[in-house]
Amino acid sequence: MIRKVLIANRGEIAIRVASTLREMGIQTMAVFTEPDRDALHVRSMDEALEIGSYLDAKEIVRAAVQSGSDAIHPGYGFLSENASFAEACESDGIVFIGPRADTVRVMGDKIESKRIMQKAGVPIVPAWTDGSLPPASEFPVLVKAAGGGGGKGMRLVTTPAELREAMASASREAASAFGDDRVFVEQFIREPRHIEFQILGDSHKNVIHVFERECSIQRRHQKIIEETPSPAVSEALRGRMGEAAVAAARAVDYRGAGTVEFILDSSRKFYFLEMNTRLQVEHPVTEMTTGLDLVREQILIASGERLSVAQSDLHQTGHSIECRIYAEVAEEGFRPDTGTIEVFEPPSGPGIRLDSGVTRGSIVSYHFDPLLGKLIVWAPTRAAAIDRMKRALDDFVLLGVRNNIDFLRRVISTGDFMKGKLDTGFLDRHREVFETANTIPADVFLVASIGGAPSSKQATFNDVWNSGQWRNS
Amino acid sequence: MAEFMSTRELHWRAGKEDVSCRIDESQGVGSFHMSGTTLPFRILDSSHIEISGKRHRFYVVHRHDVSTVWLDGRTYYLKRAKRSIDAPASEVARGGDIRALMPGKLLRLTVNVGDEVSEKQTVAIMESMKMESSLVAPRTGRVLEIRFKPGDVLEMGAVVMVVE
Repeated sequence: MIRKVLIANRGEIAIRVASTLREMGIQTMAVFTEPDRDALHVRSMDEALEIGSYLDAKEIVRAAVQSGSDAIHPGYGFLSENASFAEACESDGIVFIGPRADTVRVMGDKIESKRIMQKAGVPIVPAWTDGSLPPASEFPVLVKAAGGGGGKGMRLVTTPAELREAMASASREAASAFGDDRVFVEQFIREPRHIEFQILGDSHKNVIHVFERECSIQRRHQKIIEETPSPAVSEALRGRMGEAAVAAARAVDYRGAGTVEFILDSSRKFYFLEMNTRLQVEHPVTEMTTGLDLVREQILIASGERLSVAQSDLHQTGHSIECRIYAEVAEEGFRPDTGTIEVFEPPSGPGIRLDSGVTRGSIVSYHFDPLLGKLIVWAPTRAAAIDRMKRALDDFVLLGVRNNIDFLRRVISTGDFMKGKLDTGFLDRHREVFETANTIPADVFLVASIGGAPSSKQATFNDVWNSGQWRNS
Repeated sequence: MAEFMSTRELHWRAGKEDVSCRIDESQGVGSFHMSGTTLPFRILDSSHIEISGKRHRFYVVHRHDVSTVWLDGRTYYLKRAKRSIDAPASEVARGGDIRALMPGKLLRLTVNVGDEVSEKQTVAIMESMKMESSLVAPRTGRVLEIRFKPGDVLEMGAVVMVVE
């Protein structure tokens, strides 16, 4: 019986996990490092404990034991795919809410996981994993980190001359991000779509898939917009890919929530890419279209119970899209920005969900990933979901830290996005989404001028008005 | 309540252009003058305004000399200009300065003071939000000065080194 869970993460995912735990009557325990002392996730939980690092497995397990927590939820990133961490939990009698340690280890090794999938009959992308280098005819190729994910330690290499430097640089980045400097080379599939399947497995041999998510809109190999169902996946293809995803999960006797990532080429052939043994950033679109709460399923599985649904019970209704809200300036090479959030007015209304790690007054520092939160919409059709997302982005006011809200609006407004013509090179081809209007309307100067010369170093007009000072001066 | 009308003149820089405007208002009602046009306005509440009879939602944040304006779902950045339109543009970057492109930590220097560097050569590696990025020389020349050491935390725009 799980009564208290330590959430070994920060930001939006820590808060999202805590929401389900509270619905289940489970106590929540936050951890935080010094720069996060005043972070929203710390305030959102029953208890909180300062730690030296979100990556210190020993310290976090000790914190769980000392606080009387029964389990640890790792979220995504940080220690979520660290097998030694899962083992350390188990040996100290703490339930790790995720797959068994051996599954995490095997799937965390992108080289080993390819071997297992090939054996299980799941199609894989050709790769050079034994230190050999691809012949010149195979370029461009991708350099990938054996121990990584999320695009970190990944490089697209167009000529053989650049390969060694790319591998060295990827290796350094991989070592700092994952503590594993091994890299390998993989064939680059042109105009690929990124399609992944959500899977769930319990300890009673039940394995199901919860349909696909399309995550083809990426920058620097990281997803920024995700949706389900995929406009590229027919009912027949969904059946075949779903079967392959379940076969992949069964090959490792998967227990927990996980994701089987595939790439789909322009001729609708699919290849296993990797398996993520954790909750994905983009899991909400699956929840919006199925009614499942994936965190709740994770807790049930970790408690040794059966999945709450069978494959035949599952149906998707409508369409869901997620936009990742980042503190970054897309128009300036996606450079991250830092600062204090001065205005935070999220959108609301039917079919809108916001998973946010920040609120007004939150400080966004350079210490962490620039993801601020995720805006998710649901509507009966894809076209209606796009209209709803445009409206929601239009209504979303987040000032004080530069962010990508306007940029996301331009991306989903392109003709190709609306037609569902997506692939991972979408942003490289649609350079127009990086252009902002050159002329500023007179209305903007008017609005900027009504507050007058601000007396303090910084102020929002809107607060001055609310305080009554402005009208009385 | 006092019924006096206040008048203010403001100067903005948007991109390369300087813009001067005047605003007359009393109790949230007034008119705005810019480039020969006059726009009547009425503030409805802390985030709604009527301009020439049309309603808009808005937010404004003033931070140092930059004003961020959110108007009807779009965000704009304006810089407050000096009183005189003829004032020189804000500090012009010197050609040989190599600046941090984002806030973050300096990981490594790949050159020393006195080294000859060529245009686009990598001179330093930074890390920001768990991502590495390279700083490159803007032109061929000799490294005159290095102002930071590995491990230092840099603000965006900080001059890391100067090339002759």
